[in-house]
Amino acid sequence: MRGTGLMRVDAVVIGSGAGGGVAAAVLAEAGKHVLVLERGRDLTFEEIGRDHLRNHRLTRYPHRSGPDYEDGPRVVVDATGGEKVVRPHEPGFHGNATLVGGGTRLYGAQAWRFLPADFTMASTYGVPAGSSLADWPIGYDDLEPYYERAEWEIGVCGDHAAGSRHWRRARPYPMSPLPEGLQAAALRRGAAALGWDVLPVPLLINSVPYGGRAACTRCQHCVGFACPADAKNGSHNTVLSRALATGRARLLPEAVAERLECDPSGRVTGVRWVDRSGARHVAEAEVVICAAGAIETARLLQNSPTRREPHGLGNNHDQVGRHLQGHAYAWALGEMDEPVHDGLGPGVSLATLDFVHYNDGVIGGAMLADEFTVLPLAFWARNLPPGLPRWGARNKQYMRDNYRRVMRVGGPVQEIPNPEARTRLDPQVRDRWGIPVARLSGATHPESLRTGDFIAGRAREWLLASGARRAWAARAPLTLHAGQHQSGTCRMGDDERTSVVDRWGRVHGHDNLYVADASVHVTNGGVNPVLTVMALAFRTAERLCADW
Amino acid sequence: MTPGQAATLGAVVDTIVPADDYPSGTEAGVLDYLAGQFGRDLADLRAYYGAGLDAVEAEARERHGAGFPELPPGRREELLRALESGDTRVPWPFDAAAFVETVVGHVMEGFYGDPGNGGNHDAVSWRMIGFEVGD
Repeated sequence: MRGTGLMRVDAVVIGSGAGGGVAAAVLAEAGKHVLVLERGRDLTFEEIGRDHLRNHRLTRYPHRSGPDYEDGPRVVVDATGGEKVVRPHEPGFHGNATLVGGGTRLYGAQAWRFLPADFTMASTYGVPAGSSLADWPIGYDDLEPYYERAEWEIGVCGDHAAGSRHWRRARPYPMSPLPEGLQAAALRRGAAALGWDVLPVPLLINSVPYGGRAACTRCQHCVGFACPADAKNGSHNTVLSRALATGRARLLPEAVAERLECDPSGRVTGVRWVDRSGARHVAEAEVVICAAGAIETARLLQNSPTRREPHGLGNNHDQVGRHLQGHAYAWALGEMDEPVHDGLGPGVSLATLDFVHYNDGVIGGAMLADEFTVLPLAFWARNLPPGLPRWGARNKQYMRDNYRRVMRVGGPVQEIPNPEARTRLDPQVRDRWGIPVARLSGATHPESLRTGDFIAGRAREWLLASGARRAWAARAPLTLHAGQHQSGTCRMGDDERTSVVDRWGRVHGHDNLYVADASVHVTNGGVNPVLTVMALAFRTAERLCADW
Repeated sequence: MTPGQAATLGAVVDTIVPADDYPSGTEAGVLDYLAGQFGRDLADLRAYYGAGLDAVEAEARERHGAGFPELPPGRREELLRALESGDTRVPWPFDAAAFVETVVGHVMEGFYGDPGNGGNHDAVSWRMIGFEVGD
């Protein structure tokens, strides 16, 4: 098909990550012919490797698992208006893994449902000045059946009883949690002393064989790496496989969506895309679903102007690309009396949801949990106490004495969105295919950092109660937080003046253009967002098929 | 890299990661890691390294009348700490503190990174800290 220049399908899905994979499966199983365009490569476990210098957890040199250095930079504008060109592996790029499966190929796979109050942030807390805090047009109950589908069809291990205070649910998790190790044991003691409620972290990881694949081998290269046992459940080995198994779906890796094609009336008719050689192709489609991530989805819509929508599709009210958010992580580190590193991955194990909402004097909050197994170099870079020399005999001795003792507890602080945190097209800089790159600007709202301070304080308290002989924390910077949890750039709403898509993920003013990634998140929760991306994609794709 | 620069680099590496019950940086393969990186990701930094190592050598001669590799370990550490705090005695072509910080980062990559990157021979640093990796 390559080089023929034109294909015709029922639907084009742009992106093969959490949202795109689900959408492709639902559509293909409903009898639709689907083309999935993935800008990244189709990489093997060996190609992704276990490189401690080039992975999505610790990035010191260009990625092995995309985005490729040569693909092009982004432009970041700081608070003073200064511009910087950043490459994909450099801080400020705010990227995510770019390969078949997207972030789900490499993620840590925390499988949280948003809490009911996550959908009603504005009515729960009011709207701080300068923010665009808003309620979702849908609530937890609308999404609950789709959370269940994600948990069962992709595969989650967890303890539904321990979470029953937080979520109404119809079915338990399909798998029980992984066994707990030393970190969880210490944190359970600390939580008991403080009177806090804890639960095992739900994971999109097989604790037992599931879906025809093996159980987790507890290796220590989970987040940032591909799974050696194929026990981590992502788009690539669940929904994407299902889509391809129908015979009605095609996946094209190394295929970059450049522009959505429209007819003279402004109706979407397909997607213009570029292959690795730079040759242009057009895929004509009845329906187009954007699932390229919050920055790339916005970039694609903005790069598709028509006479009716001169600033890009869905962008007549200047909403596309605004409200960009991710999570402003708050952390504390504790040096424990006893070793807590037991060499069993994934490492993250025990959480509390006691501080996600209803904290005195701050807006929202965060889930708190321990950290994934820390690579030695990452420990050196991020986990050493303040005041310790960065090198020399004392540094080496500290690494030796405390690598197994220092434990990190933290969580994804629900950001307070604001319209000035945004992505636009850069007027000058182009990527390797000649497409304008994303130009990022703005920062999180100061309220997010106030919440972060509160959360870091709770993390420190938990560590001290769990046996830390000392604990320390650092403040999240007043900067843009997008990255792997990027969201919000095509927010969902009933009013087209203040949102980009309707409550079903359809772009306002279009009958055949959808967004099925975290771009649609009005707010991003105080937990990891991927299960919500999957649930929304199930809901959007199911509704689309029902009407089609 | 001249033989003199190479000698200075080895001494700098072993000042950043000195030997104790476990190998020093050079003993653990940090120079092998750097050699590989100078042909790869750090190719553009070869001249930067050369000029920085020359300046470290000049600092040693200015302060102690001897080359950096000849100094006792305590003096070498003292000198690098001074440079790290911006205390220089000879002209530098660039920021001395940034140079030290850059080299420290690369040395730690070679020492604590995965052996597949050419340093951390036999995963010796991982054994030292207790990061055990099976298959």
